[in-house]
Amino acid sequence: MFRNNYDNDSITFSPQGRIFQVEYAQEAVKQGSVVVGVVSKTHAVLAAIKRNAEDLSSYQKKIIPIDSHYGIALAGLASDARVLSNFMKQQSLSSRLTYDRAIPISEITMRIADRAQANTQQYGKRPYGVGLLIAGVDQKGPHLFEFQPSGVTQEMIACGIGARSQMARTYLERHLDGFEGASREELIKHALRALKESLSQDKELTVDNTSVGVGGIGENFTLYEGQDVAGWLDATFENKEDAGEGEGQGEGGEAMETDS
Amino acid sequence: MTSIGTGYDLSNSVFSPDGRNFQVEYAVKAVENGGTAIGIRCKDGVVLALEKLVTSKLQKPDANKRISTVDRNIGIVSSGLLPDGRHFVSRARDEAASWRSLYKAPIPTSALANRMGSYAQAYTLYSSVRPFGVTAIIGGWDSEAELPVDGQVGSGPKVGAGGKKEDGKHGGPFLYMIEPSGLYWGYYGAATGKGRQVAKSELEKLNLSEGGLSLEEGVKEAARIIHVAHDDNKDKEFELEMTWISSLDGPTKGRHEEVPKELREEAERLAKKSLEPEDDDEEEEKMQE
Amino acid sequence: MNHLPQAWGRPRDDVYGAYDHSHFQTQLPNQHTQSPIVTGTSVVAAKFKDGVVIAADNLASYGSLARFTDVKRLRKFNDEVVVGFGGDVSDMQYLDRLLNSLDIRENYSNNENPLHAKNLHTYLAKVMYKRRSDFDPLWNHLLVTGLDGEKKPFLASVDLLGTTFSSPTLATGFGAHLAQPILRRTIPDEDAVANVSQEEAVKLVQECMKVLFYRDARSMDKYSIAVITTSGVELKQDEKLENQSWAFAERIRGYGTQVN
Repeated sequence: MFRNNYDNDSITFSPQGRIFQVEYAQEAVKQGSVVVGVVSKTHAVLAAIKRNAEDLSSYQKKIIPIDSHYGIALAGLASDARVLSNFMKQQSLSSRLTYDRAIPISEITMRIADRAQANTQQYGKRPYGVGLLIAGVDQKGPHLFEFQPSGVTQEMIACGIGARSQMARTYLERHLDGFEGASREELIKHALRALKESLSQDKELTVDNTSVGVGGIGENFTLYEGQDVAGWLDATFENKEDAGEGEGQGEGGEAMETDS
Repeated sequence: MTSIGTGYDLSNSVFSPDGRNFQVEYAVKAVENGGTAIGIRCKDGVVLALEKLVTSKLQKPDANKRISTVDRNIGIVSSGLLPDGRHFVSRARDEAASWRSLYKAPIPTSALANRMGSYAQAYTLYSSVRPFGVTAIIGGWDSEAELPVDGQVGSGPKVGAGGKKEDGKHGGPFLYMIEPSGLYWGYYGAATGKGRQVAKSELEKLNLSEGGLSLEEGVKEAARIIHVAHDDNKDKEFELEMTWISSLDGPTKGRHEEVPKELREEAERLAKKSLEPEDDDEEEEKMQE
Repeated sequence: MNHLPQAWGRPRDDVYGAYDHSHFQTQLPNQHTQSPIVTGTSVVAAKFKDGVVIAADNLASYGSLARFTDVKRLRKFNDEVVVGFGGDVSDMQYLDRLLNSLDIRENYSNNENPLHAKNLHTYLAKVMYKRRSDFDPLWNHLLVTGLDGEKKPFLASVDLLGTTFSSPTLATGFGAHLAQPILRRTIPDEDAVANVSQEEAVKLVQECMKVLFYRDARSMDKYSIAVITTSGVELKQDEKLENQSWAFAERIRGYGTQVN
């Protein structure tokens, strides 16, 4: 019998001590389009590729601002991310209400991680099928956390998850030393370049499919999309023609409000 | 493994014909792959140490702490599935809090070990859950001084009715290790995870039952043992995480805290140094060849 | 036959059967705390240019009986917050344990950014308001003193109704009537705080404690005083009022043996 008997639920250990259902859930993360995150001493940046189901449909949200001081980027099942992000929003508000304090990024990360863990130890539940990058600024400065369906979380300097994200991580590892002292603009460029590494040959970063989230000391976490990212795309890749091609007539992105 | 294919290993809480619960045994396997964790009970405190394997360069160094505090005077380090370890700690904190709300005093380490043993055991009883994929080491210092009751704002009479009785020795260092089955023992030195065999034999050399080892020495030994137990061939990088709990007149004043950076680095330097001579010999031998 | 007026106009038992008294409400409504039992009196506090000073005496009264004479009513929360309690002593002890458990939980996650005075004041206000909304109030009036998020002096009060109030000088209980005017002479408004040194503030509060001991029959001459600055909390719990002068007493009715 070749069938694997140990992968039917998330509460059965394999003889090697593995839990296959959880590992399969990690695969769902790899199906999602790539997102990257980077932190410097002053800023935390998220960047993501959005996908649309068909040409006429809208693009799937990839970066969700949660509170004014942080946001998340997701790879995997978007609906699972919505459940988690709603929970995070509630917890963040409750922290502001009861303590008049922005919830520490590590704290909120732990709270969703503990929820995720519970889903791997009880019958009738399934692991979340989504990975998150949680980035923002709290009293201790900028932070970036990676969250996995298993409930594993890690604080990172830079990270990429989702389809073909290994290429992004390779880029990030190569430029690791440059992040800490990087300026806001440099950090965004690094994030976009890492993102591009993970793109397949026939795809480009455009104002339509690129999302950027930026948080910093003294700066609220803000989501940039559409024409707001055009300047960064131009400055990073000098790919005005390429970006323009997808849009019909696209010269000097920032002036062209008709693009989107 | 004879268990595979018999069908007795597919569900938790099921005995095989020879009286084994395979799911619990498989959970132990998850522990055996984790980074080495050790605990040393010294005469004036407890040290916990962990070999934290670095899986990616992108991880923030020195962040991602994994030895947790329970109440103020107890530490837990675990090896195995990380999220299970956090669940375990979270329950331990709830137990400590509920103990406080009932008894208005911190939970003794032995009582916490007992409750957590029962909790882990409960996860072997039902087919609707799986056992914990962790082995946890619980170290604590129970106050040797008489503590005020929580919420106490004044002092009672010194003598006579309601007065206090002097003498009576209590408190001290305690160390327990809890396995996925719920089984637990008290230890002088405990080790779990990948390098537990090496670590155990190193711990045995310390003659901890004689009670001669001081906390400061314990810290250095813990760092050394983690370095000895680390397998350079299989795992390249690791971070050493160490915490300690001293007596009330010691460096942590009875609280569970991280070992200060300077002391940890000093201990690591000594640890590496103690490992070096062997390397030198080998090199010399090679040279001679 | 029952000739009492309350039986008039009722259905006749011999015609309709005995009256079913179960229709009457036999129980009174649920009642929680209606008054405090063992109480502490005033708490006095004032801001100065680099911190806050707070004081309360060490007496717990049982009605007019001076029941406990070594009750410490100032509670250090951490290195930058002290809470002073007026009102019911057992409710104070409950709050003490509540703060204790909060402190333990805070230690779990972040040692580097502890809750500051403003956080704690918000939290306590929620606790007090919740309890009053449950019609089961904690019978206290609290002063929260320390430093806020910007390390600036912080002073605010919460009472048993959850009412919050902030001012450069505050006093609870009898102190609100007797000490507050004295405090305001030196520190009339927020601008005045910058001109007050620590020594002046301590002296001022000590003076208030003395006046309160003169005129508040539920007070005593042993007291606790705390000074909170950026260099930490200095808490003294066994102080005694110095240089008392009771010369004024003989001119006042009720102090001496004279009765008219």
